[in-house]
Amino acid sequence: MHIPDGYLSPTTVALSYAVMIPLWAYGFKKLKEKLDEKTLPLLGTLSALSFLIMMFNVPVPGGTSGHAIGTALIAIMFDPWIAFMAVSFVLLIQAVVFGDGGISTWAVNSFDMAFVAAFVGYYTFQFLKDKTKFAPFIAGWFSISVAALCDSIFLGIQPIFWHDAAGHPLYFPFGLSVTIPAMLLAHMGVFGIVEGAFTQIVYSFLQKRAEKAQQEVVA
Amino acid sequence: MSKKMKVALTVLVIMILAVPVGLLTDAPAFGEWDPDYYLKKLGFIPKGMQHFPQLQHPILPDYSIPGANEVLGYYVSAVVGAALVFLIWFIIGKIIAKKHSNS
Repeated sequence: MHIPDGYLSPTTVALSYAVMIPLWAYGFKKLKEKLDEKTLPLLGTLSALSFLIMMFNVPVPGGTSGHAIGTALIAIMFDPWIAFMAVSFVLLIQAVVFGDGGISTWAVNSFDMAFVAAFVGYYTFQFLKDKTKFAPFIAGWFSISVAALCDSIFLGIQPIFWHDAAGHPLYFPFGLSVTIPAMLLAHMGVFGIVEGAFTQIVYSFLQKRAEKAQQEVVA
Repeated sequence: MSKKMKVALTVLVIMILAVPVGLLTDAPAFGEWDPDYYLKKLGFIPKGMQHFPQLQHPILPDYSIPGANEVLGYYVSAVVGAALVFLIWFIIGKIIAKKHSNS
């Protein structure tokens, strides 16, 4: 889902930054409201886990690979705005230091993997948490699947709007009929399962530890 | 240190140790191909893509140290990346602390 530079038209890039800059500014305001020195170490660690889980590439049929993103875990442990900011930072590090995802596409990538994934993950979890113990799994799975759908739309609209007189695409060349099924199937079928399992396992570990600690205090 | 922090750090260490598992596939991600892929697939590289300004000069391109062992490069990338994530939050913590003490 890390769209490289050159894949999206300058218009897409300009519009995406016009949307994301106010969202980042608002997110930064939220950070100031919600964070303190007690929450920062855990947030830093979960953000590092997001960076790391993205290094675990999993192959899928069709000759491509992908990975989980770890956004939903931060969103349900903290807050969707904080998760959005955390994963935006992770994506910036990946683009600048590792060349994974572009600079011009940082806004779009942050919209998909940070903003959409965080809010879908958070609200899915809130809706399901009293109904099933698998709420973290489903939140993780749904969160990355919707993020992948958004990514496939940004890619797939490129050849519709931006081509030369002969009809040759100028940027990403494959249309929605290719990108949507490819991205959705791989994420719903494979990477989403990894995302769900990661979210469920780490969330359960963290909650169990917290409950144990509380019981010890009470006893 | 809180119990939650201990658990989270344990997961972090395990994931860093296990990170070479991510190297088992060398298949590229969908929609993240190098320009050569389009030359092979379409017979041309889309013009806008080809002439897009070079914005990136990554120090550890594709999570590797150019010329060094692949697993070593991946380990170094995992540690450097995780450290940079902590550094960003450390700096933000400082900014927030300043704003709080000012208000």
